Amino acid sequence: MNKDVCRIKGSRRGLVITISAGADFAEVLRQLQEKLSAAEGFFAGAEVKLAFEDGQFSKEQVDALAELISAFGMSLDRAQPVTRYSPAPSVGEAYKEAEPAAGEETLLVRRTLRSGQKIHYDGNIVVMGDVNPGAEVACTGDIVVLGSLRGVAHAGIADRVDAMVFAFRLEPTQLRIAHYISRSPDEKQPQPLGPEVARVVDNMIQISPYTHWGS
Amino acid sequence: MGKVIVITSGKGGVGKTTTTANLGHGLAALGRKVCLVDADIGLRNLDVVLGLENRIVYHLLDVVEGNCTVSKALIRDKQHGENLVLLAAAQTREKDAVNPDQMRDLMKVLRKEYDYVLVDCPAGIEQGFRNAVAGADQAILVTTPEVSAVRDADRIVGLLEATELHDPQVIINRIRPDMVRRGDMLDISDVDDFLRIPILGIVPDDESIIVSTNRGEPVVNDQRSRSGQAYRNICRRLEGQEVPFMDLQGENFMQRLLRRIRVGAANR
Repeated sequence: MNKDVCRIKGSRRGLVITISAGADFAEVLRQLQEKLSAAEGFFAGAEVKLAFEDGQFSKEQVDALAELISAFGMSLDRAQPVTRYSPAPSVGEAYKEAEPAAGEETLLVRRTLRSGQKIHYDGNIVVMGDVNPGAEVACTGDIVVLGSLRGVAHAGIADRVDAMVFAFRLEPTQLRIAHYISRSPDEKQPQPLGPEVARVVDNMIQISPYTHWGS
Repeated sequence: MGKVIVITSGKGGVGKTTTTANLGHGLAALGRKVCLVDADIGLRNLDVVLGLENRIVYHLLDVVEGNCTVSKALIRDKQHGENLVLLAAAQTREKDAVNPDQMRDLMKVLRKEYDYVLVDCPAGIEQGFRNAVAGADQAILVTTPEVSAVRDADRIVGLLEATELHDPQVIINRIRPDMVRRGDMLDISDVDDFLRIPILGIVPDDESIIVSTNRGEPVVNDQRSRSGQAYRNICRRLEGQEVPFMDLQGENFMQRLLRRIRVGAANR
């Protein structure tokens, strides 16, 4: 059995075909054909995105993949930028990256923020504790709460739409990311079972369970 | 050298004054010398709850402004005498008539004479609150199992962090076990999950509190009262004893009846 070089996964944004790093192109085509015919008709009509673990395929090769995909009644979404996983930096590069860019510093808050307390920061914020109702966290980057977030959180205040808010228990009074605002529903909600993350998806703040990055 | 404890809540009407009065009586009954200070200038109540209203001649502002000595202004309790005294608040003045430095000086004098100085803090987070917490060694928060009261308590914990009072404890007042059982009231773990500070005591809702408050006789002296028992437990905890929390859930009608009969017999 050959190494699995292409994986088909359903996600919130539709179907994603992930191509492993360093895979042989002929092998990718062969496996994809095999997998798609095994699920004949199941994926028909779906819009598919390609994700390369490294960006080594040429335009011609992408075209070949698109042709195969359309042969099974699906379409390849080329408008979206193709997701690329950047290769792991060498040690020297990692050191260079440790030097934070302006506005990318992270503030570590080692306590619970209580009603009336507010933290505003140019960069990211990590709270090791809870953010209680009436408390406010706002920053230009991401917000991570290692506890319950019950207050107001505003990530990406300089209109950074890709900012996100993470919490072990995400039950905010109000969430703001860039210029988007959402509030918790008026009806009582069941408590989230695990960590969740909020991001802007399709011009809306969307909350989803946190599994691992990239999912 | 005694301990100065401020009793505060943020929200009004959760039972700060009642708690102050009951802890004062309870600690005095354990043989301690206790001074109660009403810091709610302009809206005093502690004297009424203690049944000492008609004995006020001098008040806190008279002491601070040097119109009389401290010992002259202290009102002795009807029951405990020298061991339980009250420094009343001025009713005709306002909270900004005194400042935190003056309060700190006053506490320095009082803690020399008494084992416990309990300060009844006014509701709110303004000048009155800042005066009341000045010079205190310890804070006790009073809250009820209501969302608004718990929120305000949380705000107070945050404000106390900015002072020297770092480890406040909380008393959850007016718990109604029947409502908690039906899921209509926040329970102790809800409050604890939110505030995350040590719980000093849990006081059940009790009609006898209203009766005793109106009569000026704190319920802590009533051996048959559940809330009185809760206050006695809190006093013993303040004294450093390990006292388990009362089981509010497990008591049905028969058990209540049996307990009443047993305590009644013991009182006789």
